[in-house]
Amino acid sequence: MAPTPDWVKQLKPSGPQGSELLAAERGQSDIHVEKLQELLLTKDVIERRNKILDILKSEPVFDKSSNYFNGRMERFERALAREKKLQLLRRKHNWTTDELRTASEAVGEPGPYALHESMFKITIGEQGTPEQQEKFLKPATDYKIIGCYAQTELGHGSNVRGLETTATWNPEDKTFTIHSPHLTASKWWIGSLGRTANFACVMAQLYIGGKSFGPHPFIVQVRDLKTHQPLENIHVGDIGPKFGYNTMDNGFLLFNKVKVPHFNMLGRFSRIDPQTNKYVRQGSPSLIYGTLTWVRSNIVMQAGSVLARGVTIATRYCAVRRQFQDRDAPPGEKGENPVLNYTMVQIRLLPLLAATFALHFTGKGMMHMYQENQKRMNGSGKGRESETRGAGPEETQAGSDILADLHATSCGLKSLSSSIAAEGLEVCRRACGGHGYSSFSGIGSWYADYLPTVTWEGDNFMLTQQVARYLLKSARSVLSGAKPSNETTRILSDFRSRSEIGCAFDILGSDEDLVSAFAWRASFLTFEALKHRDDNKKPWNDLLVDFYRLSKAHSQYLVVRNFYDALKHGNIGREVDATTHDVLWKLFRLWALHTLEQEGSEFFASGAASRHQISLARTNAVMKLLKEIRPHAVSLVDGWGFDDWVLDSSLGRFDGKVYEDMFHRASELNPLNGVTVDPYPENEVLFKKVEPLAKSKL
Amino acid sequence: MTDFTDNLKPRYDGAAILEAERSASVLGIDELSKHLLSRDDFLGRQEKVLKVLRKEKLFNKDQQLNLSRPERYHLGLARAKAIRRLVRREAWDHEDYKMAEYLNDEMSPFHLHMTMFVTTIREQGSPAQNKSWMPRILDYDIIGCYAQSELGHGSNVKGLETEARWDPVAQEFEIHSPHLTASKWWNGGMGRTATHAIVVAQLLLPKSSTAQPSTTDSENPSRSHTTSEYVPYGPQTFIVQIRDKKSHQPMQGIAVGDIGPKYGYASMDNGYMLFDRVRVPKSAMLSRYAEVSDETGALIRRGHPAVVYGSLTFVRGQIIMHARHVTPFSDMNWLVLARAVTVAVRYCAVRRQFQDRDGVAPTHSRPQDEVQVLDYPTVQIRILPLLAATFALHYTGEYMYNLYHQSRRTIEEGDFGPLAALHSASSGLKSLCTTIAADGIETCRRAMGGHGFGGGSGLVGLNADYLSKPTVEGDNWMITQQVAAYLIKKTTECVQNVASATQDPTEELLKDYLRGRAQHTPPSFLAADGSIDDDALVQIFRWRAAALAYAAYQARVEEKKPWTSLMIQLHNLSHAYSYHILVSTFRTALSSSSVTSLSNPTPSVLRTCFRLFALHTLSQSASSFLLTSSISASDLQVLDAKILEVMGELRPHAVKLVDAWAVPDWLLDSALGRYDGKVYEDLFERAHRKNPLNRTTFNVDWRSEEVVLGSGDGGRQLLAKL
Repeated sequence: MAPTPDWVKQLKPSGPQGSELLAAERGQSDIHVEKLQELLLTKDVIERRNKILDILKSEPVFDKSSNYFNGRMERFERALAREKKLQLLRRKHNWTTDELRTASEAVGEPGPYALHESMFKITIGEQGTPEQQEKFLKPATDYKIIGCYAQTELGHGSNVRGLETTATWNPEDKTFTIHSPHLTASKWWIGSLGRTANFACVMAQLYIGGKSFGPHPFIVQVRDLKTHQPLENIHVGDIGPKFGYNTMDNGFLLFNKVKVPHFNMLGRFSRIDPQTNKYVRQGSPSLIYGTLTWVRSNIVMQAGSVLARGVTIATRYCAVRRQFQDRDAPPGEKGENPVLNYTMVQIRLLPLLAATFALHFTGKGMMHMYQENQKRMNGSGKGRESETRGAGPEETQAGSDILADLHATSCGLKSLSSSIAAEGLEVCRRACGGHGYSSFSGIGSWYADYLPTVTWEGDNFMLTQQVARYLLKSARSVLSGAKPSNETTRILSDFRSRSEIGCAFDILGSDEDLVSAFAWRASFLTFEALKHRDDNKKPWNDLLVDFYRLSKAHSQYLVVRNFYDALKHGNIGREVDATTHDVLWKLFRLWALHTLEQEGSEFFASGAASRHQISLARTNAVMKLLKEIRPHAVSLVDGWGFDDWVLDSSLGRFDGKVYEDMFHRASELNPLNGVTVDPYPENEVLFKKVEPLAKSKL
Repeated sequence: MTDFTDNLKPRYDGAAILEAERSASVLGIDELSKHLLSRDDFLGRQEKVLKVLRKEKLFNKDQQLNLSRPERYHLGLARAKAIRRLVRREAWDHEDYKMAEYLNDEMSPFHLHMTMFVTTIREQGSPAQNKSWMPRILDYDIIGCYAQSELGHGSNVKGLETEARWDPVAQEFEIHSPHLTASKWWNGGMGRTATHAIVVAQLLLPKSSTAQPSTTDSENPSRSHTTSEYVPYGPQTFIVQIRDKKSHQPMQGIAVGDIGPKYGYASMDNGYMLFDRVRVPKSAMLSRYAEVSDETGALIRRGHPAVVYGSLTFVRGQIIMHARHVTPFSDMNWLVLARAVTVAVRYCAVRRQFQDRDGVAPTHSRPQDEVQVLDYPTVQIRILPLLAATFALHYTGEYMYNLYHQSRRTIEEGDFGPLAALHSASSGLKSLCTTIAADGIETCRRAMGGHGFGGGSGLVGLNADYLSKPTVEGDNWMITQQVAAYLIKKTTECVQNVASATQDPTEELLKDYLRGRAQHTPPSFLAADGSIDDDALVQIFRWRAAALAYAAYQARVEEKKPWTSLMIQLHNLSHAYSYHILVSTFRTALSSSSVTSLSNPTPSVLRTCFRLFALHTLSQSASSFLLTSSISASDLQVLDAKILEVMGELRPHAVKLVDAWAVPDWLLDSALGRYDGKVYEDLFERAHRKNPLNRTTFNVDWRSEEVVLGSGDGGRQLLAKL
């Protein structure tokens, strides 16, 4: 391609430059950005992250400049090369697991080793006996074997009881036969399986003497360690291109009566006695639910920072982008207005900015609760070595068991927070106007890669049933007169005790009342649902929509509660300056009031807020908060501390050089511009000439 | 290749399930299809063109999602050219050609040539310009694009930076880009394909001219030194040759190229373009409505200045028609939402998950079976209202089609009166309908669980391509201001003359409100016998739209609140107004003879769709209806139960209703949405046999830098590409 002409190189963006605009934004807020970053990430993590970033940026294999242009094959090939390099660097620099994760996040694409690192190793660690850990976990840690976790099937997702793959016990030679009886039994969506893994942890229905014992985990070798070809009677491959996640080889897997030894069924919680051929249960698998709960708490916390990436890009760009003149501008004041001054841009972005903090503090609160739970389980001496099988979360005693409370909480919050993040990212993309549609915005691919979170670890809609089931149980225990023993039963009892008096919350004057109004509405919906189910005997299926709303209401309450507690009782007052603390309170009110106003009819119906209050929240309070937060918007997103290399976005650059970067990527990094075409339909020639790019770096 | 997987069958027979679904409903599909899709023999044309495309290997969609961006453009151009050759070979007319584009289902690099480029010249060119350009355009001797938006400027044409300076001595215009942000940007077909462009630029004339300068932008201090000598006259359109006819290289003084990858639109070369004082003759300015005088050098305007933006209104009209479907011009580029709903309904009928907790087995399933997910209310509440919305959008499309043609006739007779109403209705509906469709596609995709994320859903490309709509041609939020401004103006007029007769439906809406608001109690959508009162539903939507218009009028005109602080309120007003159009036109259509003459139970099933659409919207925006006193608190209490009931009525017809949209499998390109229900067989076929990644074996050991096993190059080839 012809080099860029000089007259083009000399052009500057018109009007005030992006860098000046962002500098002015930063000048008008006295938020101490570094302190805010430390509050969110801690000093230690920031330092480690910066060191890792320096290492990654110096390795050519991590160069991102062609990511947006490549096809599926190239994306995957490159991702594998990057994963390999990360392992090399891990040894070289002695990275911890956390540091490796930080590096992976900075690379910013799902890699083919991901499920080996997470699910494969974790499952063996948690569900394998010491002997199994010796045999499988050790080589896995050394990457002598590379594994994945094969649960989901072509015809079955969230419902493990519906899995079709079978593992039949053969008493004569003490083996299991793993088999796929139907096409729908094919393992599907399994990350790292398509091209990478040579081992799999396979969930299959255990059959002994014709009797089913439910799904159990088996370690199965799927590929030869040398040739990397599938083993006999195993059919495995990649499932093809997806909406996002194209750097990952999600795979399918079918078994044609494959035998594995007795040793390969993970046996910490259950095993088969090879002598008697009897099924033996041992220990409590409730710890597994603990892992799931931990995974979900992580999703909640991550949702905050995932969303923050989109909000950072959109906020910076909307501060630089100018459009239309202010209709009310005095005649002397010409020029277009930064779109961030428009309330209709603010109403889309600032509540999301508030949500990033709300989710962050909620995730933190859950982690805390999880750790409390772990302490309690370990302290009680029960748990893993218990002789009787522990109850699943649905069967535990509601109202007294922290595990149940945490499990229910994590389901609902996972559903709410990942939906907020996914939908929020799309809102951010659209708030960037036309340029948001360009890959260079950096939001589209980020959104596409995040989307599976909305459906995995339990579909966001399906999960809400578990929350509702738990809340109904809690409500029944409250009705039966049991004393409140945790947060959920406390708010339900409180609601119950005031049923004859009602409430009068000062939602616009008191933050505490605002939290109470959320509790009130959630409790109201709980007892309404209970009435439908227990008194009116409505079918469970007919109530699913009510349950979804109930779960959402309860989770929104938890977000408001956690955000409030973090600001009220945490150490924040000491960790950040007064301005920042004050702005965080405003973000709390904005999130709470904006949510309340969106869900106004439920607050009204429950009596938690009057029509007048909702109307005032909408027209006054929220508008006032937008105005007060607006000057701090750019500093607040700076507080998330995203490196430009990580954002990989023209629109979200820290220095505001939006247009220079868009132009640079389009004209100099874009391989399509090396092509000269023959555009006339009657000629069959398509590309007359294909030249390499005149590549230069910014 | 054959292996043990060849003989495996899915546990559930999707074909039998869909067959059972179809026989459980007595809806007459052919009749309904004809009712919906008879304009210009849509169905017959679809069949005819599909038969031809199917045979051409070039149009096979199997590998599309695996290709890189440059490969996608390569393919896009190949197909665009092939379609032109087919047009000739098969003697297709323009509607056939449009159908081929629709079925090909990707943005053609020629798309702007046959839409904005040709339309702008036809509508804004003088008769002489038309005579000179039109034959070359229709023969594809030249290939055009439309260069309006710029790197720094989107919706606001007044803010465009590209200049066209008139040189009275040489009798030429000088097209120039004074800044980087003046770069044309996003312009379809311009990046690699087009030879010519319609360039929208600020016209600058020497100060001595006698015409009245445009008042909007007269003294801009940021302009270059020539400010003292030149005066801006606002945006005008110029036709400029941008590439050499032979070498296809850019003309002297022009830097033009593709802007790079996007969320979707991979096959289209959206471009950038900068001008370094490029000279074009006087005849380059399209001069049907404005021309630089030969004698005085002054600008002579003919007709209404709004016509300059006429083209934009036209494109907006088209986009709404995409969103719902019937467009007067490109009959085919639509049905997107119906497509997504078709896939979701069919797959959710085939897909099963969990057993019913209450153990009551739904129809046609064995007791131990998992439940069809379409029987879950949590799935229904996401998909069925969208199914209803496809019909709402359809009937509003018909309404807009008529409004457009009516207004057009009036405008051609020289009366620009209806332009404001048309512009505001088209803006408001564009904003709302594209949002409904874009969000709807994504909702359908997610309602399908994990497989919705896979390429086999058929919604991956659709979603990505359609998502540009909410932001192109005026951000969906920005353009709602124009609707609101129009309604505030109308309200102001009505407040002053409440008693006088009404001129148009909008005035009637506002005056009904003004006359009634003193003693208003919200009507109930429940009739005395507990059935749903359809007219009351319409009243509820009307009342909310009018009440929000009046509130906006009060805030802006009476209380003089700043415009910027009202934008959110104005946005909600625009949506409320557009929703009222959707609901009223749907209601009106139900009573039209074209619906009532359909055989039973079609009219009553369409009525159920209407009710679901209205009730679901009520529930989604309950706060807004409540705060405007459009709905009573007691109606609100029963709303959700009614929705559940209506969904129950619609559920048995769901599969047949989507069948009625007659979207061929070839176009759906979806394993999940296949007409025959062979979902799992197809998913497996795509993964196993059509997936190029499975033909490569990788070296996964991190100690080795080799990536492809046996390639022995230690990853060097890969690094060279970075």
